[in-house]
Amino acid sequence: MSDFAELSGIDYLVVNINAVNSDNALHDREQIVQLLKLSDLNLDPNVTYFIVAKKGDSVIGCAGLDHNIIKCVAIHPDYQGNQLNLILMDKTIKYAQDRGYFHLFLYTKPENEPIFRGCGFYPIVTIKGVVVLMENSPVGIKQYCKQLTLQRKSGSKIGAIVMNANPFTKGHQYLVDYAAKQCDWLHLFVVNEDASRFSFADRFKLVKEGTAGVANITVHPSSEYIISKATFPTYFLKERAKIDQAYMGVDLLIFRNYIAPALQITHRFVGTEPYSEVTHAYNEAMRYWLQDAGVSSAPAVRLVEIERIKEGDNIISASLVRNLLDAKQYDRVKTLVPSTTWNYLAKHLN
Amino acid sequence: MKIVQEATAGTLESSDLLVKVQPNQGLEVVINSDVNKQFGDQIRKVVDNTLQTLNVTDGLVIIDDKGALDCAIKARVECAVLRGSDEMKTLDWSKLL
Repeated sequence: MSDFAELSGIDYLVVNINAVNSDNALHDREQIVQLLKLSDLNLDPNVTYFIVAKKGDSVIGCAGLDHNIIKCVAIHPDYQGNQLNLILMDKTIKYAQDRGYFHLFLYTKPENEPIFRGCGFYPIVTIKGVVVLMENSPVGIKQYCKQLTLQRKSGSKIGAIVMNANPFTKGHQYLVDYAAKQCDWLHLFVVNEDASRFSFADRFKLVKEGTAGVANITVHPSSEYIISKATFPTYFLKERAKIDQAYMGVDLLIFRNYIAPALQITHRFVGTEPYSEVTHAYNEAMRYWLQDAGVSSAPAVRLVEIERIKEGDNIISASLVRNLLDAKQYDRVKTLVPSTTWNYLAKHLN
Repeated sequence: MKIVQEATAGTLESSDLLVKVQPNQGLEVVINSDVNKQFGDQIRKVVDNTLQTLNVTDGLVIIDDKGALDCAIKARVECAVLRGSDEMKTLDWSKLL
């Protein structure tokens, strides 16, 4: 059978995977799950829409979209090896664009990398045998690093901290002060996603205000390449407490291979984290992905873990502050945050 | 002419090409083609000529070619550039002929 004959009579449509309001929707969902299974993939809970290729009643190809991230791409074995993947990816890219997403990321298995190179995607990092993260630009991360290079500071010990600061506490302040004292310069990245309780704009402002006394610091908004939905989707699903080692490696390898060299970062500072399981596991993974000589040819970034400070018996953390806010124990909150953060919180208490 | 917004034209289907443009300081062109070995130089020539005719000075142009003919390359590049520029009103359409 020629490619042409096989590819005729195929419909392409968009399926909202969370729709449960009709038998059709449930039927499509079931077929997508089955198709993914054939490719040894699970339905990713963050995917909201699937672009599907259908022949008659059967789904023979699918590509999932989670905001600007493409994942869960599968094609039925009987239809592999022809043009179907190109057409399916073309439709998926167009659909993403219609929703305003031009800069796209894509997760796939390393063995499928060549297929997606053919669709205009370029690899950023590969976790051997597990996953490769790609983007639809040959220069995306390079251009970002070029901009970072402009903010490079000289010195033999350049530190970095990435924090969500949700919200900025005395614990964060201590970590920043400690790291800044140890380094010639400190680059502080504030996670730039509005997936947390406090908006990015507010978190960023509070970090700026709370670190105003530190002379050798640059506060950066983080980017899509540092703890974003694209590089580290599970970070924003803390309640699941399910940590995906592969995804952690993706985020950390990007930091080691691209971000750290651009700013000549030699050390990364983190607080020890006894409360949040995700952050705790992340610190463990950091040591491996940032320092191990076998996982990257880029220079190691030394991980420095700093014990969290306490207020009374409690270790100060943003999650504790959020819990106390929920419990309306404002007097205790006040002891855990710098005055700059308290002023902001007090204004927004109701 | 400057590229001021992201835009695309074309498809990834066989004998076509997908052209993406986005803002950039200076002009940068990246070409990724299935037939790069045989026709890479010719493709670049057509792309460069088209951009020159339109007088594109700033923009990032990314091309994923699937073996398109020269006329298709020219048309897709023109279309993507026009969609990505803000000079539709002042454009000299006769130059596109």
